[in-house]
Amino acid sequence: MTEFSLHFIELGHFAATLAFAVTALQALAPLAARLVGDDRLPALSFRAAVAVFLLTSIGAAALIHAFVGGNFSVLYVAQNSNLSLPLFYKIAALWGGHEGSLYLWVWILTLYTLVVAWHGRKRYQEHLPLILAVQGWLMLGFFGLILFLSNPFERLFPMPPDGRDLNPLLQDPGMVFHPPLLYLGYVGFSVPFAFAMTALLTRWESELWIGLVRRWALIAWGFLTAGIMVGGWWAYYELGWGGYWGWDPVENASFMPWLLGTALIHSITVQDRRRMLHDWNIFLVISTFALSLLGTFLVRSGVLSSVHAFAVDPGRGAYILGFMGVVLVASFGVFMALGRYQRAQEAVTSLLSREALFVWNNVAFTLAGACVLLGTLYPLALEALSGAKITVGAPYFNTVMVPIFLAVILLMGVAPLVPWRKANTERLKRRLLPPAVLGLAAAGLMLLVFGWRHWTGPVAVGLAVFTLTALLTDYARAVGLRRTQHREALGRSLLKTVAGNRRHYGGMVVHLGIVVITLGIVGSGLFRAEMSVSMAPGDVLEIAGERLRFEGVAERRGPNYAAVQGRFTLLNGGVTVTPERRLYARQDMPMTESGIHSTPLRDVYVVLVEAADAERWAVHAYVNPLVQFIWAGGAIILLGLLLTLSQRRPRVRAGTAEERNLTSP
Amino acid sequence: MKSRHARIYPRLAVFICGFAVLFFVAAASAGQVAEDPLERQTLDIAKDLRCAVCQNQPVSESNSDLARDMRAIIREQLQAGKTREEIIAYFVARYGDFVLLKPPYQDAGAMLWIAPLALLVVAGASAFVFLRRRLRAALPEPPGLAREDAERVRRAREEDDA
Repeated sequence: MTEFSLHFIELGHFAATLAFAVTALQALAPLAARLVGDDRLPALSFRAAVAVFLLTSIGAAALIHAFVGGNFSVLYVAQNSNLSLPLFYKIAALWGGHEGSLYLWVWILTLYTLVVAWHGRKRYQEHLPLILAVQGWLMLGFFGLILFLSNPFERLFPMPPDGRDLNPLLQDPGMVFHPPLLYLGYVGFSVPFAFAMTALLTRWESELWIGLVRRWALIAWGFLTAGIMVGGWWAYYELGWGGYWGWDPVENASFMPWLLGTALIHSITVQDRRRMLHDWNIFLVISTFALSLLGTFLVRSGVLSSVHAFAVDPGRGAYILGFMGVVLVASFGVFMALGRYQRAQEAVTSLLSREALFVWNNVAFTLAGACVLLGTLYPLALEALSGAKITVGAPYFNTVMVPIFLAVILLMGVAPLVPWRKANTERLKRRLLPPAVLGLAAAGLMLLVFGWRHWTGPVAVGLAVFTLTALLTDYARAVGLRRTQHREALGRSLLKTVAGNRRHYGGMVVHLGIVVITLGIVGSGLFRAEMSVSMAPGDVLEIAGERLRFEGVAERRGPNYAAVQGRFTLLNGGVTVTPERRLYARQDMPMTESGIHSTPLRDVYVVLVEAADAERWAVHAYVNPLVQFIWAGGAIILLGLLLTLSQRRPRVRAGTAEERNLTSP
Repeated sequence: MKSRHARIYPRLAVFICGFAVLFFVAAASAGQVAEDPLERQTLDIAKDLRCAVCQNQPVSESNSDLARDMRAIIREQLQAGKTREEIIAYFVARYGDFVLLKPPYQDAGAMLWIAPLALLVVAGASAFVFLRRRLRAALPEPPGLAREDAERVRRAREEDDA
């Protein structure tokens, strides 16, 4: 630790304070321009956005420098780092606590603002100042919280010789990726939000901005999806209970914006293609962002007691509640007053049309979002109002949510076969028949082989097979048609069909990923085998056809922990897994590291629980079928999303060429 | 217009999906083994109980001391011949409704079970009403189109639908 570090952290603090001031300028510029009548003021916003990003980055750099250099005169560093902490985690420790994660949030917000400013400086120049101002108000709220109540730059005197160390649970590669991805998702929805507020206030014609918002929403949705997937994966191998999703309030906090965001990216398509649902889309944009804010605050205000409740501080609750209140009242207030400035321009031709099914998609996702919100907030509200404590846990959410998701999977199979405007009923029946037969056969087979474990098993597998078949036959039909018309090689046709309509097929690939995840959830949720036994070296455990021999334990020293490492040999394949029991010295906290051996069809998952006596160990073993499908499905979803995003502009269709002309300024 | 390709590929896709299903059933049914029924029963009950000292974890999945004790109690009571309901009632008597991961259907929990159904009805009904209304909606003429152009657009759209 050098003298430079002592000065640099103050420079960082100063930069962040300056960023706060410049943000105020950015937030007020359009308003001031209107009051003073000076046309040059809006141009300021652009420069302000750049300056705020640079200043916030200096602040972040100072914090990271303090972490890496071990500057424990910074309270936040002293609380969340340690000299022996590996470099990797010293950097990630920036978002290991309350103050730093809020700083990361606002830093990402300034990054998005910068990108919007750069992206829009030509494309939507006249609306840019107001968009930046909306984001400026959000930043102002966050900077206020950071600088006055949750200041990561706060100093500590006298300076301790060493820090308290990062929570051992967070010392994991997942910590490096999960929070930034999640925040890139949460904060990403602030861009559609800023567009929607600007549109409401200026009566900006919807057709001119909804396409832009669609891309921003897809990007945010992609990050949020990736963040949730990485979070599930992290929980799976780190928490040692063999699961990846527990309907914990903190997980729900990230799931709610995901659900509404999913509704949004579908209903935007309806407006894009059929020019209706204008006000509903704005409502969804606002709600999605509101839930992102709620998600951040639920986790970071310490209002929840949950597995994720690190870094809690209820003292800031009032500010956070007030800020949420202002954002909600202002945005929904503006929406109620001005939301109907633009109405639908087309009618629904038939109840059996893609747009109608999209409406049902929105019903399902909005309902799902509302139910998760209810289940997450109800116990809090009940406790605050009446003092009664109840728990709303996984069994509740599974009961309520699984039927909704099954309906969604059904829709996912049917809707792509239904054309816009009006479906030909006969043709639709003909096309749905093979998938339906195959789906029913799969469900029947499932019953036959595995028996009646739970009604969701056969139903979910049947629906997954139905949807998969529907997707593939639809694709095969398009390929066949193309080959007939173009007389080209099969491989070329397969590629060209996708390349010609990447937006559509990207979406279909995402759906494929969802189907794969569904199979993974059915496999690991309904067919998990679990055993809790006490083993001496040489003992063999048999679980779900796997035979595990306990070879014994050995001591191991990590950089900042001492570990007991167990060795288990999987006799079926000769592979060794090594679960660990770690003790992190500084925080005196025991941690389990599970030993996992994965194949595409099943994971063997071993946890060393504790020493039973001198040589016996309590061991928890699971065999989780198809867990790998979940991660694979996540990867497929992201690939599909990239495919969709690679098509920059929707194709201009014959019937709407005149209308498109209106959109060029 | 329909050709060999257009007919064959969809069928091929159906076959591929069918084979995938068979493959998975075969692969998954290979490793079935009998489990200790008491252990499964214990976990089945433990799954629905909250480990009171943990943060939102079920008793079946927590490695805490309390959860272990609770699992042992469930096992003992099962061996003593108690039913699932009796065992759960035993824990509710000690820890209150808080211990139930699935909120009760009455009292404070009732809202949680009624609300999703009510929301479903409201959301479904409003979507239906919306669609019905838009079905009959009178539309503004597309701006800037002559009558014959509008007619052309309409016909093009209908062809599009067919």
